[in-house]
Amino acid sequence: MAENSKTNTDENSFWKKHIRTIPGRPSPKKVISSSNNNSSSTSFQNFKRSVDDVWDCGVADNEFANESNISLTDITICKTIAESAAINVINNHKIKTDDKSQLDILPMKHANKQNISFSKCNIIKNNNDDGTSKLSKFEALLQTNILELDELKKLSWSGVPHKIRADTWRLLAGYLPANIERRKEVLERKRLDYLNVVQQYYHTDRDEIFQDIYHQIHIDIPRMSPLITLFQQKTVQEIFERILFIWAIRHPASGYVQGINDLVTPFFVVFLQETLNDNDNLDRVDVSTISVDLRNNVEADSFWCLSKFLDSIQDNYIFAQLGIQHKVNQLKELIQRIDLTLHKHLLKHDIDYLQFSFRWMNNLLTRELPLRCSIRLWDTYLAESDSFASFQLYVCAAFLLHWRDKLLLEKDFQGLMIMLQNLPTQDWNDSDISMLVAEAYRLKFIFADAPNHLQTNCS
Amino acid sequence: MGTRDDEYDYLFKVVLIGDSGVGKSNLLARFTRNEFNLESKSTIGVEFATRSIQVDNKTIKAQIWDTAGQERYRAITSAYYRGAVGALLVYDIAKHITYENVERWLRELRDHADQNIVIMLVGNKSDLRHLRAVPSEEAKAFAEKNGLSFIETSALDSTNVEAAFHNILTEIYRIVSQKQMRDPPEGDTIRPNVEPIDVKPTVNTDSVRKQCCQ
Repeated sequence: MAENSKTNTDENSFWKKHIRTIPGRPSPKKVISSSNNNSSSTSFQNFKRSVDDVWDCGVADNEFANESNISLTDITICKTIAESAAINVINNHKIKTDDKSQLDILPMKHANKQNISFSKCNIIKNNNDDGTSKLSKFEALLQTNILELDELKKLSWSGVPHKIRADTWRLLAGYLPANIERRKEVLERKRLDYLNVVQQYYHTDRDEIFQDIYHQIHIDIPRMSPLITLFQQKTVQEIFERILFIWAIRHPASGYVQGINDLVTPFFVVFLQETLNDNDNLDRVDVSTISVDLRNNVEADSFWCLSKFLDSIQDNYIFAQLGIQHKVNQLKELIQRIDLTLHKHLLKHDIDYLQFSFRWMNNLLTRELPLRCSIRLWDTYLAESDSFASFQLYVCAAFLLHWRDKLLLEKDFQGLMIMLQNLPTQDWNDSDISMLVAEAYRLKFIFADAPNHLQTNCS
Repeated sequence: MGTRDDEYDYLFKVVLIGDSGVGKSNLLARFTRNEFNLESKSTIGVEFATRSIQVDNKTIKAQIWDTAGQERYRAITSAYYRGAVGALLVYDIAKHITYENVERWLRELRDHADQNIVIMLVGNKSDLRHLRAVPSEEAKAFAEKNGLSFIETSALDSTNVEAAFHNILTEIYRIVSQKQMRDPPEGDTIRPNVEPIDVKPTVNTDSVRKQCCQ
């Protein structure tokens, strides 16, 4: 446990050093200095009282920043602190730095302390006013003439409201242009392009190499999500076959690799939902009753967004799957630095990281999570844009660390392997994914650019 | 390993290999959990399960690695052949191409596995009688020629699934226990076996097995 306490200390110092402001409330740095200056505990207690309520009011960390202007008027706080906070907020909105430093994730030490109430708040919040205010922010942004993509990424990173998810994803994937006037035209042209490609390559005699690809896809599709009836529909299976086949022949270096089918699913479901009424139950929809045009649109959009999405991780699927092997090694090194106890526990019982994390990487955790959670995770992946490939490594690390206590209780190889292959995420929801990506972000922030951080631990 | 409630006398690592869609995962699910899914998800990389059986009052624990069938995964999965003392090479009796590819899988084993690995050829989906594309006799003859045991199974209706695993584990056990008794007959290799179910003990002179006899 020694290294853990060291980790914590490092986290503390790290966050104190680096975090400039948490918009909407006074920054930790300012608080300390002002309480020191006044040498009075009262102002600090005032402050503390004034901000404690944030944990009860159902405002999540990421949206927090944008609520700042309302929260300040409603609470009594020390005047100087209020001013400094206001300045911080204004500065924070002004300063154009890179996406990542603006993501306004609360340090996890705060989040963890408040774990229970935080996630409860989140569940309620999802259905209430915060959801609508977030939605209106998205809607406003999507309606601007020239979309600020970075703004959209920032907003999307912590989850995209269901109602505008399809449009947001199209923009995040770079499938739709920033210019609002050109979107319709581009969309129509792209959809037509896809249809033409299908006409040209799918409905023709296939030579042997294409026949092999088709054969593999054809046996994988029916067993894709055996428990979800939507995917048992013939129309749906044919859509998937076409998307995957066209993608595969356009990417000969990788071709179709088992598991890529799972990566189509979030796109397909989100674009399909867009064509349905709010009340329609996705599991009861008969896709063959949807008009051909709408179906074609869903298919084309899924194809293009998948293509864009896979661009940065193509080396996962080439010969010998070198991209994955590389990332598995990175995961191993990372865990060794972050949590030596867990790492040694796994090694002691002959667990090879490849044995469990290969699938995590190959399927981007879709096999480990319920579909609804994959969709939420895709919000963040798409917001990460081209850097999502490296970000996914940290998501996997956070995912593994999430189960560390349970894993440490397992005392042999079989127990560990069985658990690692069947991690109990059935009850996970959006807030679990939000916690997961926040933790992944924290790990990336600490470890990605500091190759020697905690390196002394792993002699 | 092997503390607490799962004591065992022998631990054998066995791999399941063969083309995509021949039913490897369902054979494993039937043997270890008595489950069958008509549409079970494709295996990504390798998956693992375990079960113990009794032979001669000894507890034999089988550590079974189920591998992805797709060609692209070979580089990953072949790493798992190391240390395996048995392999179930599975094809689908209703899909001739999966039987034709058996030779390629044997080459894979020759290249990556211990040379003394015990191999059983398994014709799965024997319930699909009306769709049979590979005659039993043909497969049996092929197995005999290549020194493999042979059995036909159905993970769907459970036919011979127990027998398949039981036979290969028993065969491995006989080899290992005879080796332990230090009376290796000379110059004998693994005998071809033509009986579909009853696999006779085979002997081996020089096998150094890695993962057994814990």
